[in-house]
Amino acid sequence: MNLSQIVQDLGFLTPEILLTGLILLAIIYDLFLTKETSIRTGYLAIAGMAIVLFSLFAQNVEASQGLFNQMVAYDGYARYFKIIITLATILVMWMSFQNDELKNRTIGEYYQLMLVLVFGMFFLVSATNMLSIYLSLEIVSIMSYLLAGYLKENLRSNESAIKYVVFGGVSSGIMLYGISLIYGLTGSLNIYEIQASLAANAAISPALLMLAFVLVFVGFGYKIAAVPFHFWTPDVYEGAPATITAFLSVAPKAAGFAVLLRFLNTTLTLSGDPNNIALESLSNLDWPTLLAGVSAITMTVGNVVALQQTNIKRMLAYSSIAHAGYMLMGVVVMHHNGVSAILYYAGIYTLMNLGAFFVAIYIKNAFNTETISDYTGLGYKAPMIGIAMAVFMFSLTGLPPTGGFVAKFYLFRGLVGVGDTFIWLAIVGLINGVVSLYYYLRVLYFMYFKEMNFPDVYHRAPLQFNILIVIIIIPLLFGWMIGDPLSTWTASATSFFVP
Amino acid sequence: MLEHYGTALALGIVGFLLMYAAFIIQKLVGPKNSTDVKLDTYECGEEPEGETWIQFNVRFYVIALIFIIFDIEVVFLFPWAVVFKDLGFLTFIEVFVFISILVVGLAYVWKKGDLQWVKMKLKYGTGRYSASNLLEKENLKEAA
Repeated sequence: MNLSQIVQDLGFLTPEILLTGLILLAIIYDLFLTKETSIRTGYLAIAGMAIVLFSLFAQNVEASQGLFNQMVAYDGYARYFKIIITLATILVMWMSFQNDELKNRTIGEYYQLMLVLVFGMFFLVSATNMLSIYLSLEIVSIMSYLLAGYLKENLRSNESAIKYVVFGGVSSGIMLYGISLIYGLTGSLNIYEIQASLAANAAISPALLMLAFVLVFVGFGYKIAAVPFHFWTPDVYEGAPATITAFLSVAPKAAGFAVLLRFLNTTLTLSGDPNNIALESLSNLDWPTLLAGVSAITMTVGNVVALQQTNIKRMLAYSSIAHAGYMLMGVVVMHHNGVSAILYYAGIYTLMNLGAFFVAIYIKNAFNTETISDYTGLGYKAPMIGIAMAVFMFSLTGLPPTGGFVAKFYLFRGLVGVGDTFIWLAIVGLINGVVSLYYYLRVLYFMYFKEMNFPDVYHRAPLQFNILIVIIIIPLLFGWMIGDPLSTWTASATSFFVP
Repeated sequence: MLEHYGTALALGIVGFLLMYAAFIIQKLVGPKNSTDVKLDTYECGEEPEGETWIQFNVRFYVIALIFIIFDIEVVFLFPWAVVFKDLGFLTFIEVFVFISILVVGLAYVWKKGDLQWVKMKLKYGTGRYSASNLLEKENLKEAA
C-alpha cells in the first residue's frame, strides 16, 4: 500500500468526492443566508445530489475492485444501492420543501445533515472491513439522531431523538463487542480474511462463533429494525419530522440490508464468493436458520402490532418492521435469486413507502390529522390523494398489478427455489401478507367506504406535490409491465467484489 | 495464546483487589474527624451554592466540541509532520484539504457566534440569577 495506490483509488470515488464537496459548499453557502432564505441550501443540495446521481450512472463497474487496502469495495452491488439512496434523498428533499413542520425555521442544517447521512450510507454499502462498516454505521446513526430531533421545541421530537440515541448507543456497543470477538477468533478485520480464516480453521468453537455473529447482528438488526431490536422504531418514526421518518424508513434500511448481505454472504460462507450460484454456510454455523427465525418473528410482530395502530405514522412504522422481515427472507436464501430479490424489493419498497409517507404528510398539512379514522371521505374530497394512497397501500400489501406484487413474488421465488428447507418461512410470509391486507385496506375503507358523498368542491393538491406523486407512481405501477428495467439492473448488480 | 489472557486476568484481579484494599485499609486505620468544611464539595476554593442537579449552559458542549475538532487536527498533523520529508508534495495537498475542511467548521462556529462566550445580552429573568433573587440575597447579606 503506497501513496500512488491511494491516489489511484481516489479516482473510483468520484461520487463520494463530489458529495463531500457538496456538503462543504452547503455549509459555507448557508452561512450567508438568513432564516427566511435558508431554504436555498435545500435547492443547492437537491441540485448537487442530481450531479452525484449522474456521476453514479457514469461509473463503469465492469471491473470491481477493492479500494484503500480493501476498506471499501467498488462494485455494481454498491453502486445499485447508492443509486437507490440518492434517488430516495432527492425525493425526500423535494417533499421537505412542502412539509409544513419545517416551515418558518432555520432549515440549512437539515439539508447539510441529510447530505452527511448520505455520505455515511455511501460508505456503508461498500464497506468490506469491520472497521469501515462500524465507522460508516456510526456516521449514519449519529446523523439520524440529529435529524430525528430537528424540531427542537417539539417534545415528541426530543423524546424520539433521546430514545434513538440510547438504543443506538447500546446496540452499537454490543456490535463492537461482537467485532472484537470475531477479531479475536480470526485475527483480522478484513471480511475476506475473516472468511479465509474461518474456512481453514474447523477447530473454532461453534458456540463462540455463534455468539460473535449474534452480537454483530445486533448492530445490523438495529439498523434494519428487525425484531427484537425494533423498539425504537415506532417512537422515533412518530416523533421525528415526517419527511425524516420517510427517509429513515427507506434509505438507512436499504443500506443496512446492503451491508448485512455483503457481510453474511462473504464472511460466513464456505466458498466466500457471493457470486457463486449456490453458497453454503460454514458447516459449524447454521446462520440461515437463525435468520429465518428472526425473519418470521419480525414480520409477524410488525404485522400483528400494526393491526392495532390508529396513527398513520405508527402504522407505517410497524409496517416497515414487517417489510424488514420480508426482506430478511431473501437473506437466508444464499443464492443469486435471493440477492437480486432483495435488491429488487429495496428499490420497489423505497418508492412505495416514500409514496405512502408523502401522502400521509400531505394529509397532515392540508387536513391536520394523522389519525386513520379521520381520513373518512377523503377519497371523494381529494380524488388525487385517494387514488395515490390506494396505489401505495395495494403495493405495500403486495397485490397485483403493482410493483409490490412483483417484488414479493421474486422474494418467494428465491425462497422456494432452494428446496424444502424454508417452505415454512414462505408459508409464514404468505399468512403475514393476509394479515397486512387488513390494516392497509382499512385506510382505504375510511377513505372510500365509510361515507360515500361527493362534495361540491374538490380539494386540489398543489402542482408540485402532484408531480412528485406521479413520478413515484408511474414506475411503481407500470415499471414491471414495460420491460421491467429494474430487474435488468438488479440482475447485473448482484456481482460482489471478490479479491 | 491463552496464557496471555491469563496474565491479563491475573492483573485485573490484583488491580481490583488492590483498589478495595486501599478503601478498606483507610477505613480501618484512618482518623475520623470530619467537619462541615471537610465534607463539602471541592469547588476550587469557591463556596458551593445550590444543588448539583442544575441545568447548565449547553454552550459548554459546543466549546468542548470545538476543542475536540482542533485537538484531533493536531493529532493527525503531528505524524504527518514527522514523515513529511519522505512523502513529498502530495501529502501536503492531502493535509491542505484536511485543514480546509476543518476551517469550514471554524467558519461555521464563528459565523454562528459560538466563539464568543457572551452571545447576547443576558436577561435577568429566571432561576437563581433572577433580579428578585439577587436582590433578596443582597438584603440578606446586609441584614447579617
